[in-house]
Amino acid sequence: MNNHWMRRQRRLGYVFIGPSMIGVLLFFLIPAAFSLGLVFTDYKFMNPKAGFVGLDNITRMLHDKLFYQSLKNTVLFLAAVPVSIALGFVVAVILNQRIYLKKLLRALYFMPYITSGVAVAFVWMLLFQPKQGPINGFLRSIGIEHPPGWLSTTTSSMFAIDIIWIWFLMGYNMIIYLAALQEVSPELMEAAKIDGARPGQLLRKIIWPLVSPTTFLLLVTGMIMTIKTFGIIQATTQGGPGNSTTILSLYVYQNAFRYYDMGYAATISWALFIIILIITAIQWIGQKRWVHY
Amino acid sequence: MELKKRLLTGTPGRLLVTIIMLALAIVMIMPFLWMISTSLKTPTEVFKYPIEWIPAHPTWEHHLKVWTGPKSFGTYYLNSLKIALIGMVGATFLSAFAAYGFARIEFKGRNALFMLYLSMMMVPPQVLFVPKFIMFEWVGIYNTHLALILPGLFTIFGVFMLRQFFLSIPHEISESAFIDGAGHFRIFFRLILPLAKPALATLAIIDFSWQWNDYENALVFLIDERLYTIPLGLQNFILENTVDYNGMMAAASAGIIPMIIVFAIGQRYIIQGLTNSAVKG
Repeated sequence: MNNHWMRRQRRLGYVFIGPSMIGVLLFFLIPAAFSLGLVFTDYKFMNPKAGFVGLDNITRMLHDKLFYQSLKNTVLFLAAVPVSIALGFVVAVILNQRIYLKKLLRALYFMPYITSGVAVAFVWMLLFQPKQGPINGFLRSIGIEHPPGWLSTTTSSMFAIDIIWIWFLMGYNMIIYLAALQEVSPELMEAAKIDGARPGQLLRKIIWPLVSPTTFLLLVTGMIMTIKTFGIIQATTQGGPGNSTTILSLYVYQNAFRYYDMGYAATISWALFIIILIITAIQWIGQKRWVHY
Repeated sequence: MELKKRLLTGTPGRLLVTIIMLALAIVMIMPFLWMISTSLKTPTEVFKYPIEWIPAHPTWEHHLKVWTGPKSFGTYYLNSLKIALIGMVGATFLSAFAAYGFARIEFKGRNALFMLYLSMMMVPPQVLFVPKFIMFEWVGIYNTHLALILPGLFTIFGVFMLRQFFLSIPHEISESAFIDGAGHFRIFFRLILPLAKPALATLAIIDFSWQWNDYENALVFLIDERLYTIPLGLQNFILENTVDYNGMMAAASAGIIPMIIVFAIGQRYIIQGLTNSAVKG
């Protein structure tokens, strides 16, 4: 085995990552650079006279009421993430006990996450139907005379979207928590029990701190994932009624492909990137500070 | 205290908790149950309350409407299958290749390139939609299946997931092969890939479900109805049949039931893959 051969073998690294690298270049890096360039132009589709406009798009964005409204809606959308994490945690802790049908239950709770595309958004649309839908039918039957209009009113629409999103994400959080709970040492639990810890104390003082890295990870990845989505909203409300469900990612889509205002769409998309960057930065810093091992 | 403890941990307690959790689980999957039930009902029965879970007059009429007729879901199905299958095979294979390079070969610039991969995960798809739209228009693949298939061959998540797995394979295994004069290609195909079968299956299933459910890319890059995938076909159906609720639910079933089947078969792999990449990643 000579050095020459070894060197050649090492160089094979480029061959292995090469094909994938080409894809990253063509479909991620170059478009990203292109998009950054578009921020400084007034490029509109079918209007070839795109010109350099400096920081105009950015100024426009900072004065755009709808941008702030979408930002607010995005925050409201993000509120679904911690709720789905809390629910996922509770279900995981219960499923981690000695109960029957564990595998079946796990599969059922997880099903929305894996099977849901937009198809299920259409199902929810009918479930939420304000006048005759089954959800309001149920609410009326238990004595609520004026149930919410869900997706059809500006005050409740984002809330209804959150419910769909919580339903969708919960199972994923549960699965990840179940794996994390496997790592909690049974000896530690036994020792605590012998010392007279009650179940509530076990949960608060031992389990919750031990899974805190998982909680943190779920919070960050869940938020990033949520920020990137707009499918369920485009499918159910198209951002309405009255822009009440227009979140940033959808606002980018609308500007780009409804108004063909592509320079401006690119600008907003980079605002989205900055938000993701901030969340990631918080993750880097926070992991050291807030996570208890 | 003693009694309460026994009740909670003994058989009656286990049974009670199981029943409660099962009831809640059924609430979770109610949208699916309601969808299937509605797709088999007659129009007047859709919004009857209390809900008739088992239709009094079951009919296949709505499913037939979805599957036959001028805009049959058959076309959407074939389109979706084609895109998801090619994407799945290509993405799994290319990810395995790249992951091997990153995990098991020490070459110059490896860490920098890997950081580049990492950073691409943060770029939201919305940043890429507009430039991809313009670029695809230029090269003439806008409004063709290639606009979905080509980018679908590359998944950064897949490279991460498999790299994680390849790192966990002990180095001694490839070292002894190395001493016997086997190069990286032989080690990759003969040793690592066979060992990685479960991980490959995991990635393949997850990737398939993503591509099958992908609505946003199809929305941006396809306009020709004959090219529509299931999510777009569904949307189209709903726009054209705004009051045919039974039909809508039959159409939704057409999109969802295959995923339920894939999930039932590949559940173990999916869960494994997602937890591995999250907990250890």
